[in-house]
Amino acid sequence: MGYKGKACDKPAPDFSSKLKALDAQAELIVAKYDQKSAATLTLLHLAQDACGYVTPEIEQWVARWADVTPVHVHGVVTFYSMYHQAPVGRHHIRFCTTTSCVLNGSEDLLGHVKKKLGIQNGGVTPDGKYSLEESECLCACDQAPVMQVGDDYHSQLTAKKIDRILDGLK
Amino acid sequence: MSEAILSRNFNIPDAHKLSVAEPRGAYETARKVIGALKPEEVTNTVLASNLRGLGGAGFPTGKKWQFIPKDSKKPVYLVINADEGEPGTCKDRYILEKDPHQLIEGILISAYAIGSHKAYIYIRGEYVLPYRNLQSAVDEAYAKGYLGKSVFGSGYAMDLVVHRGAGAYICGEETSLLNSLEGKRGYPRLKPPFPAIVGLFGCPTIINNVETIACVPHILKNGAAWFTALGSPGNGGTHLFSVSGHVEKPGVYELPMGVPLRDLIYKYAGGVKGGRALKAVIPGGMSAKILKADEIDVKMDYDGLKAAGTMLGSAGVMVMDETVCMVKMLYYATKFFSHESCGQCSPCREGTGWAHKLVTRIYRGEGSVKDLDTLLTIARNMEGRTICVFADAAAWPIQSYITKFRAEFEDYIVSGRGKAVAAELEAAGAHAH
Repeated sequence: MGYKGKACDKPAPDFSSKLKALDAQAELIVAKYDQKSAATLTLLHLAQDACGYVTPEIEQWVARWADVTPVHVHGVVTFYSMYHQAPVGRHHIRFCTTTSCVLNGSEDLLGHVKKKLGIQNGGVTPDGKYSLEESECLCACDQAPVMQVGDDYHSQLTAKKIDRILDGLK
Repeated sequence: MSEAILSRNFNIPDAHKLSVAEPRGAYETARKVIGALKPEEVTNTVLASNLRGLGGAGFPTGKKWQFIPKDSKKPVYLVINADEGEPGTCKDRYILEKDPHQLIEGILISAYAIGSHKAYIYIRGEYVLPYRNLQSAVDEAYAKGYLGKSVFGSGYAMDLVVHRGAGAYICGEETSLLNSLEGKRGYPRLKPPFPAIVGLFGCPTIINNVETIACVPHILKNGAAWFTALGSPGNGGTHLFSVSGHVEKPGVYELPMGVPLRDLIYKYAGGVKGGRALKAVIPGGMSAKILKADEIDVKMDYDGLKAAGTMLGSAGVMVMDETVCMVKMLYYATKFFSHESCGQCSPCREGTGWAHKLVTRIYRGEGSVKDLDTLLTIARNMEGRTICVFADAAAWPIQSYITKFRAEFEDYIVSGRGKAVAAELEAAGAHAH
C-alpha cells in the first residue's frame, strides 16, 4: 500500500495507563463479534484514537484482547492506510488526488497546501499541528475537490477556502 | 426527474433520526413482512423484481439469496458492503448519512428472507459522519425493539453490528471484505467456495451493497411488478447515479435504470461545464472502460453498457471536457491502482506498479512510443490472471485510454511537451520527484 507514514525513530512513549483506561470498552467491543479476532480493526481504531498512533505496545494490547498474535496485528496495521506507526499532526489532512478531484483542479490546490505548510506527502509540520497524506478517492466526487481534516470532510475547495479552514484550526 | 424512492429523505433535515424517519414510513414494511410472510415468499418477490446488485457486479439479488444452503446447521450471516471506494462513486454515503433507517429496514427484511439472525455493516473508515449517523440509528432501533431478541415482538431475533474499515479500496471486493471483517489483512479469497457456502467465519454468508438492500423495503411495499416497471428490461428499479467532473451540476441523481447517458449529462447534470465540448466519459467508476464523446448514446444499465464494451459498475459517471489531457488522466488512474493493489497476486502487484512507472515516465516527457505497446502487453498479462477482478479493473483504463486516444498519446510523447508539464507541476509544488 502507498502512504504508510514513517517508522518512528524516537523511543515509543509508555501508553500503559491510557490502554488500561480502554480495557472496559475493549471488553464490550470483543463481545459484539462472533469471534474475538474480528475485533482487531475496531480495537486498533480505539487505541489509535486515544494514543495518536500505533506502537508495539498497542499491538500487544490488541493482540491480547483479540486473542491473536502481535505479529498478526502488526500485519494488519501495515496493510491499512488509516493506521499510523508514527505520530501525525493534531490535524491530519487526507487530500484527495483521484480523478474527479483532479478534473476539478486538485493538483494546484495540493501544491498550495504543500507550500503553505512546508511539508510533502507523509510530512508533519515541525510544530506538530498539521500532517499531510495524499489520499485516494474519498468518494465525495460530486463535491470535488475534497479533503478530510481529522474526521471532517471539506468540499468544493479553493485556495482561499483551504486557507480559511486550516488557519481556523487550533 | 422521476419519483424519488431511495433518495426521498435525502433533503429532509434530520431524516437519519427515527423521530423523523418513522412518521415518513420507516419500518412500516418490515413490520408487515416479518412473521407474516414466509422467507421464501420474500426471496421470490425480490427475485421477480429484477433487483440486481448495485455495488457494481449486477448479480440478481434474489438468485444470490437462493444459494444459501437450506439445511445449514451453521449460522447464516448477512453482510452489508458499505465500503464505498470506487472513484467517481458517492451514492452509498448519502444513504448511510441521510437515511440509515431505510438501510436497517432493508437489512431486517433481507436477513429474514435468508434466515439470518446477525448482520454486519462494513463501512469505510474515512466515512466518520456517516458512521456516527448509522450507529446512532442502530442504537435507536435497538432501543425500540426493532433490533434485538424479538424484532417488533415477532419472536424473530436480529443483531446488527457496524464495523469500520481502515482505508483499503480492495476491501470493497466481497471476499477481501470478509477477511477484513474477520480482523485480517484484506486479501481476496479464491472462489469457489462462494461466500453463500463458506463465508464469514466459515459460515454461509450473503454480501450485498447498501443501495441494493435499501431497495428491498420498497419492493416488498409496492410489489415486484412495480419495481420491474420502474427500470429497463432485466434491470429493475431506479439507481443512484453519481455524476462528477466537468458538468454544471455534479450530484447524485436517482433515475430509472436505462436512462440514456446523454440525458444524464445534458438534461440532469446541466451539460458540460462552461458550455465546452465533451471529450470522454467514464460511465461506471474508475474501473469501467472510457467512452469517447461519440459513444454516449447508450442506456445506463448493466446490459446497455456491456453491449457498449464497458460496464455500469457502481454508476459513478465522470465527465471530461475537451481540455482534458488523457495522459494525465491515465497517470492518475494507474497511480490509484498501484496504490491500492493488495499485493497478493504477482501479476497485479508487479503489473500495476510497472504500469504506473511507465505512465509516469510518459507524463513527465521521458517516455517513448514503444512504452504504449509495453503498457498494453502489461494490461493483457494482468487481465484474468489473479484471484480477484482488481487486476482486470486496473487493466481496463490502460487498454481503453490508450486504444481510444492513441494519437493523442503518441503526439504527447513525440512533441516532448511532458517536460514542460513536469516543470509546471514541480513549480506548483504538486509533485516532488
